[in-house]
Amino acid sequence: MRSVGGSGVRSSVRSRGSSSTTASDPRERVKDCCRKLVAFMCTQVGVGGLVVGYAIVGAFGFMSVEKDWKNPQNEIVASLHLNCTSDIWTLTTSEFAFNETAWRSEVDRVLKVFQDGFAKAYKEGYNGRTSDELWTFPAALMFCLAVFTMIGYGNVVPKTPLGKGLTVLYAVFGIPLYVLYFMNMGKVLASTFRWLYRRLYECTEDGVGDRDSESSLPPLPATRIIVPSTACLWVMGGYVLTGTIMFAEWEGWEYLDSTYFCVTSLCKIGIGDFVPGANILEALNSGNQTKLVINFVYLLLGMGLIAMCFNLMREEIRVKVRELKTEMRQWLEDIRVRIISSYQRKRGY
Amino acid sequence: MERKRSSRRYGSGRYRRKSWGQKCKDYFREFIAFMFSNVGIIGLVVGYTIAGAFVFSAIEGGDTPSAGARVRQLRNDTALRLWDLSCCGLNVFSEETWRQSVSKELEAYQQHIVSFIQDGYDITGSGNRSRTLSFSGWFLYSLTVITTIGYGNIAPQTEIGKVVTIIYAIIGMPLFLLYLSNIGDILAKSFKWTYAKCCLCYGCCDGASRRRALRRHQLALQQPASVGAFIGDDWRVQYVVDTEDEAGGDVAVRIERCADGDQGDESSSSGDDERYDPQTVTVPVTLCLAIMVGYICFGAVLFSEWEGWNFLDSSYFCFISLSTIGFGDIVPGKRVISSQEIQLSFIFCSVYLMLGMALIAMCFNLMQEEVVHKTRTCMQALRSMFSCKRRAQRNFQDEDFELPAD
Repeated sequence: MRSVGGSGVRSSVRSRGSSSTTASDPRERVKDCCRKLVAFMCTQVGVGGLVVGYAIVGAFGFMSVEKDWKNPQNEIVASLHLNCTSDIWTLTTSEFAFNETAWRSEVDRVLKVFQDGFAKAYKEGYNGRTSDELWTFPAALMFCLAVFTMIGYGNVVPKTPLGKGLTVLYAVFGIPLYVLYFMNMGKVLASTFRWLYRRLYECTEDGVGDRDSESSLPPLPATRIIVPSTACLWVMGGYVLTGTIMFAEWEGWEYLDSTYFCVTSLCKIGIGDFVPGANILEALNSGNQTKLVINFVYLLLGMGLIAMCFNLMREEIRVKVRELKTEMRQWLEDIRVRIISSYQRKRGY
Repeated sequence: MERKRSSRRYGSGRYRRKSWGQKCKDYFREFIAFMFSNVGIIGLVVGYTIAGAFVFSAIEGGDTPSAGARVRQLRNDTALRLWDLSCCGLNVFSEETWRQSVSKELEAYQQHIVSFIQDGYDITGSGNRSRTLSFSGWFLYSLTVITTIGYGNIAPQTEIGKVVTIIYAIIGMPLFLLYLSNIGDILAKSFKWTYAKCCLCYGCCDGASRRRALRRHQLALQQPASVGAFIGDDWRVQYVVDTEDEAGGDVAVRIERCADGDQGDESSSSGDDERYDPQTVTVPVTLCLAIMVGYICFGAVLFSEWEGWNFLDSSYFCFISLSTIGFGDIVPGKRVISSQEIQLSFIFCSVYLMLGMALIAMCFNLMQEEVVHKTRTCMQALRSMFSCKRRAQRNFQDEDFELPAD
């Protein structure tokens, strides 16, 4: 509906331009510009602000719900530690203390028991931190983003039944909101990109002598200059490259890992083995908070860019799919005719 | 769109009493085309996933040869350090300090174990293999990549694996979207047909739904693109048409009047009074939501039986998977010990996911019109509130406001 709002405003400008021959008051023009700007901000930025607000509210909610959960594995590991230490102490104060090889083989056995128990606890969900250390505000914010963008990293997950139920509710309301944001962002960015592309096109055409005067581009924005899909792909590639360099520098990942993270996040897969902020938990100073905000903005903007690419490439894709379908139909007709003719030939014998 | 047109052509042919042979041939042709373009897509998706499973198991299945040895080496080193602490250090006489230093050693040992586990080494008992992943596990992984669920319990460790994942995702996702749109279309059509049959039995074809059906025909006439599961398409196109409708308020009335008297080639809604095209029935939103919730509950029951989870965890898992969020904290195959059953549970999970996403695509397809209609009314209400304010601000030229966009 917002695109109609935009096109409606545009068409009203058009009609005014064509219908009113009276000199338009410059003050009225300025007022109109302001009004258009306010309407635009209220719709596009409004939806963006709504999404960010929803994430923040969700972050606070999940933090308060999940903070008090006691991980049973923490106690298990603590008792493992205690047992292991006590066993070694027993060994040390016993007669083995003077025979190095025997002592070491016994200690090896004790360590193996500890290792197996710890590995089992790790599989069951031990992660070395208590819940309120884990659910800091940046982590909760990232979790909320992962839920409604459907990325779903999974490094921080709700454990309480209430948390799980809240997640389901949060997703049910958050995903349509996000889809709205996605489509709007896509339209806005697509029209901006088309406008930019057209400007660039005109600029490059300017340098080619009097060709410009012959091929006068109509002033209305209705003429569609189809942005080639390669331009979209270049933009996406550039964005992924930026992200790669940024994450590699900040998180200390390899460049390949960084690219892998950017692509899997922007494709909404979200495997979760690499998550920015996983080691930010260790040093929570304000510098890292800024980094997390920038991560958040990067992902949101990246989704918007993908929506833009969908929007721009949709025409081409639709035409190509239709061509493919007609080709397939032709091919099937071909096969059918051939089968029938060969069948008839057989019957003729 | 072509499919629809051909079926309508077929439909109009039926009323001309074709010969049986011709009918059979037509059926056959339709069937073959259907198989190739729709079941073909299913086969393509399944084949792509299987190919991916083979590729990934080949890339990632390699045993890290020295992992077992490294773990034993780690234990040896730790034991040596503990011996140094215990025998020759002075702190053997003070239990507290001894315990503290031993604790520190154990912490360090623990960290190393964690890094081994994260590299994929399975440190339990006599497990010497680095990955207990079978073909079906990688099949589930490939499926989660192309459906963008992305659990993460299985992740590529090698660099080649990561690069292959990226390429596999970029090619696989559009393929899966195509599958969803095709299957969503087919399922939606079949469902509408079944629903129309039931609806006919109860005789609910009253004036309101006929008028809506007529309006939809007009939309279908004016829109050039296929009505697929691309929500963006239909939102935009429907809005364009509707503003033209309401711009001159009498246009809509004119269209309806034309359609009432028109015996056009559109199959039967304007012709007979008893029959109408089942494709014009609107399925209520509540029914679609009920289908989705029912499928999630069904999956929850099955998984709680099979995996031993409680019902809440199962339904949480089903919801998170089907909405493609896919945290990965709860995944099938974790609790089952024997490898035979792990294979089955992975395969079952994959089938459930593919079917579930097709159902969701169908529900979105069916709900589209209703949701769009309802959102439009909401937005109009909001817009009229907003435009009243602006109308008060303006002091001239009201004709622009006839355009309902503002």
